[in-house]
Amino acid sequence: MLELVGVSKRYGEVVALDDLHLTVRPGQMYGFVGTNGAGKTTAMRIVLGVLDADAGDVRWQGRPLDAGIRREFGYMPEERGLYPKMRLLEQLVFLARLRGTDAATATASASSLLERFGLAGRAGDRVEELSLGNQQRVQLAAALVHDPRVLVLDEPFSGLDPVGVDAMATVLRERVDGGAALVFSSHQLDLVERLCDAVGIIRAGTLVADGTVAELRGGSGSRRYRLSVDGPEGWADRLVAAVDGAAVLDHGPAGAPALIELPRDADDQVLLAAALRIGPVRQFAAAEPTLVEMFREVVSEHAEPEEEVAA
Amino acid sequence: MSRALSFREAVALVARREFMQRARDRSFFVSTAITIAIIIVVVVFPRALSFGADEYQVAFPGPDGGALQAAAEAQAELADVDLTVVDVADTGEAEARVREGSLDAYVEGDSVVVERDLASSLRVVLENSHSAVSGTRALEEAGIDADQVASALETARLDLVTLDPEADERTTRGAIAFIGALVLYGQLLGYGFWVALGVVEEKSSRVVEVLLSAIPARALLAGKVLGIGALGLSQLLLISVVALGAAALTGSIALDASMLQPIGLVLGWFVLGYVAYACMSAAAAARVSRQEELQNATTPLTMLAMVSFFASFYVFFNPSGTGPTIVSMIPPVSALAMPIRMARGDAAPWEVGLALVLMFALIAGLVVVAGRVYEGAVLRMGAKVPLAEAWRSGRRTRA
Repeated sequence: MLELVGVSKRYGEVVALDDLHLTVRPGQMYGFVGTNGAGKTTAMRIVLGVLDADAGDVRWQGRPLDAGIRREFGYMPEERGLYPKMRLLEQLVFLARLRGTDAATATASASSLLERFGLAGRAGDRVEELSLGNQQRVQLAAALVHDPRVLVLDEPFSGLDPVGVDAMATVLRERVDGGAALVFSSHQLDLVERLCDAVGIIRAGTLVADGTVAELRGGSGSRRYRLSVDGPEGWADRLVAAVDGAAVLDHGPAGAPALIELPRDADDQVLLAAALRIGPVRQFAAAEPTLVEMFREVVSEHAEPEEEVAA
Repeated sequence: MSRALSFREAVALVARREFMQRARDRSFFVSTAITIAIIIVVVVFPRALSFGADEYQVAFPGPDGGALQAAAEAQAELADVDLTVVDVADTGEAEARVREGSLDAYVEGDSVVVERDLASSLRVVLENSHSAVSGTRALEEAGIDADQVASALETARLDLVTLDPEADERTTRGAIAFIGALVLYGQLLGYGFWVALGVVEEKSSRVVEVLLSAIPARALLAGKVLGIGALGLSQLLLISVVALGAAALTGSIALDASMLQPIGLVLGWFVLGYVAYACMSAAAAARVSRQEELQNATTPLTMLAMVSFFASFYVFFNPSGTGPTIVSMIPPVSALAMPIRMARGDAAPWEVGLALVLMFALIAGLVVVAGRVYEGAVLRMGAKVPLAEAWRSGRRTRA
């Protein structure tokens, strides 16, 4: 597994990473989310050895990383990362060979990846001649061409249409199921929620939440319910007044369900009984918080003035 | 299937890519073609112009015409003047032809008739032949046998004894080296700019991040400098072969092994100059993130190349003296200036040795400094990275 242990990095006066701990297991797709400038890109660059940490360790299978181990990593930087004027096949072969793959294997692997992404007919074209979506596909192919065991992808899905996202997600899932460890950053939280086995939320250089989406939900201090009652206007306020610790998160439009929050240890049947006393209950359902909601909650919990770091 | 690359293998892969990608670039063909065209014009054109300059049409219509003609042809041969004798019926025709310009001059009696003026080389030929003919005639009239006079005159020729038989050749070699320096100034700027452009291209496309996640920064830098250098040297060899071939075909110089010496010197010193210049270019370029800023970042280097350029003029036109001697030993100016002095045979062995030592010292220093600045700056996007900051962060980055 890939571990970041107490990694710190400063750019002059600006703290980019502050004692960051993070673990990604083989066969796991790890989503790395955080506000702009939270330190995602810095962390990824340190994993790839492109930057040196000021303190802390990055380990793979318990050993500190060196050039020999990093050779088996695949990396996709945030924006582009290819020679614009170099032809697709040559470029992929070159990048594979830089990581020690022999020429024949590199050529075979590059050709099959281009085939896979529907770019076989354009193997002799220059990267700059492709559409942005296709450039993104080549970018991913460049990260995969040497058959890496660890994939580090910075914003791999940005700029792709939904079909492109699905195609890329399928390819990545195959690699992960084949035993690769994958960590990628994204601002598309619904996508992270849908794809990832584990999620880390980073804020100001520190991991503030880490685990599966379910674990993150379990860690939340409250539960939420969507409730619809045929009652007089203001029924929701009457309801929470009758139940200890309950609060209205969202009244909703007239006739629509309201969103009610209960403390973790409260009995939800008490809430239902109280609602029935007000009027007929039309809807009563546990509302799982989305990753977006958890993200907002976690980030605002640790609220400090926003720092903008050149990530 | 795969194994870790050694530093040397990584350098070789990068160098090979640089060479192959650029060699197939259309702009490379265009720049090669333009340089070759310039060389051909420089080498062939003066020679083409000079045809006509030393070529004269002359008539000898007078009664002594035959003897004068023979003497003039012999003199023209000695003076290396191209003389064509034109047959005319009489003085009237000769005068008419001089007026219309199809004849440069005609000689009759004791006069040479021209339209406006007489070229000095033709004047010498005609005066000598006239005095020889009239001298012979005077001796004949005095009763001396014509054959005796002819043989006496024949033996009165001067034998040529050259004290410095190679002087001419050395001057030619110096000139070749000078022309070489002029070409190299352009190429030094050109190849240095390729290195700079390559560095910024990798930086602005962020491909440098992918590359540096696989190989050390210094391997990337070394591969780039070597690959572009190898391509540049191939281009220069091609240009040299074409230039020497053109010069030999037009007869500007007699092509022999000794003329290859200045070419060899120039190319050898060029390699040293290129390495120094390329290191500086790479370090300067690594500090900026966009091509638009490149011009600004490399201005000091352009100035340095221009100083070298003018220094080579200074050295060429001042063969002796302390000034040129010192200038030709200072690196990196020595890369252009020293081969001129060496080709001419003006440089003492210790001067060459010292120039080489200084040059290698500069290169060694630059490899360390430029390598570190490059490492420290190449991943920093955005504003131009201050030199001191690049130097400081260079140490921390993975070697």
